[in-house]
Amino acid sequence: MRTMRILLALPGLAALGFGAWLFVGYAAPAWPDSLKTLVWLAGAPVVNDAVLAPVAGLAGLLLARLVPVPWRAPVQAGAVITAVLTFLAFPLLWRPFGAPPSPGLHDDDPGTGLLVTLAVVWGLVAITGTVRAVLAHRNVRSKGRSRQT
Amino acid sequence: MKLPQPPREEHFRGGAHGERATARVGMLLGIAFTICFVTGLLSHLIQHPPGWFWWPSNPVWLYRVTQGAHVISGIAAIPLLLAKLWSVYPKLFGRPLVRSVPHAVERLSILVLSASAFFELSTGLLNVAQNYPWNFYFPTVHYAVAWVAIGSILVHIAVKLPVVRHAFSREDEPEPPARGLSRRGFLRTTWLATGAAVVATAGATVAPLREVSALSWRTNKGTQGLPVNRTAAAAGVVRTAADPMWQLTVVTPAGTRRFAPADLRALPQTTAELPIACVEGWSQNAVWRGISFPDLLRAAGSEPGVDVRVSSLERVGAYAVTTLPGEHTADPRTLLALELNGEVLDLDHGYPCRVIAPNRPGVLQTKWVERLEIR
Repeated sequence: MRTMRILLALPGLAALGFGAWLFVGYAAPAWPDSLKTLVWLAGAPVVNDAVLAPVAGLAGLLLARLVPVPWRAPVQAGAVITAVLTFLAFPLLWRPFGAPPSPGLHDDDPGTGLLVTLAVVWGLVAITGTVRAVLAHRNVRSKGRSRQT
Repeated sequence: MKLPQPPREEHFRGGAHGERATARVGMLLGIAFTICFVTGLLSHLIQHPPGWFWWPSNPVWLYRVTQGAHVISGIAAIPLLLAKLWSVYPKLFGRPLVRSVPHAVERLSILVLSASAFFELSTGLLNVAQNYPWNFYFPTVHYAVAWVAIGSILVHIAVKLPVVRHAFSREDEPEPPARGLSRRGFLRTTWLATGAAVVATAGATVAPLREVSALSWRTNKGTQGLPVNRTAAAAGVVRTAADPMWQLTVVTPAGTRRFAPADLRALPQTTAELPIACVEGWSQNAVWRGISFPDLLRAAGSEPGVDVRVSSLERVGAYAVTTLPGEHTADPRTLLALELNGEVLDLDHGYPCRVIAPNRPGVLQTKWVERLEIR
């Protein structure tokens, strides 16, 4: 395992160093404009740890409290997928800095596309949740019956 | 009044947290980033070829598939990265903050890893949407940080290898009951979100998904059924490209020849079905018709297989002048195209003529060609 770790770490460190060298090659001549790039780099983990993760965690706790057991997993999955798809649609929906519109690129209607996709996702959540709820109900009833006999 | 206290590591009891979930998601994330890195590096080498580099003109779909894989694996990596970081989120609250020098180095390296991974995914996602809320040249910085990201991933795997091994060796152990989402539930949710992200966007390059992917950044509404990345107006060539006096200049060591549009149409015409594939991950097949480069080079007094410098009427921009390697000028499917999908090339697709070569990046398929030079 030791050899394996060394074989991974050495090219890793070399790539890391090369990337840092390339980055300095861009950032140093472009200073102080490149400060914004550094903020972008350092900002993302902060946004994740301070905003995205706590919000996701609290939403998960809230759903676990409010949603009955058979529905919990489908609703949590639906909520996660909604967040991911909204995140992916965001650059298409928000375009004050976008390039001039080109035929065949970004000339669909991403807002409607997102809503339709989310409707499909929540339709599947509804079907899965209903099936699980019905199955759970049947299990309870059959267990009840087997206890009577 | 008592202020709310930050959570402690042991407060997180969901099935998402723990080495078995982390290792599973981490492995897929590592694969996604590796695909991204290799395919991105490949496109970089084709666009900035060093002396030792060689890229074939066959198979025609190779570039298209690699760049489709680049963007699809990048999209897949977004939910995977978020899931991975959620899985290890409790460690953020581990105390003491720093236990030793190696521990400090490890925490710092994870910060570099997370920052570079987020940077690559967020700038890539904004780039495919051609939405640029930054002041740097995207290819340069995306390329530099890609090396940082892949390097810190390799170092991270080297550091965590014993944990990963341990996690995968416990595969058959029963799952302890978790509060909230179970480990299986967390992993299943992660795979579902990753699948949904891919299906919602992959239509940009996977033709059967075209009508399914509602968040794809390209459509079928392009001119002559093909997307346009840079219009004639954006390139500033509307007047010069439509000029009836336009002539193609071909400079060879044997001398200079000029071809009027009628001269080009009088040369033997070749039809080829070739994809146009953008580094931004969209691609589409089209039927092109024009003069094959071997025919054109012979007509100009040269031979197939020489490097050709292609100049566009477009005066500004990084791709106004490109070099078509000999490998491609020897291929009879490399065309100076006059027609697209059965019609005369639209102004936005490079009228009066454009380069279309098999297995090349879209940005190097030079439009509005004015001059070819063989040295």
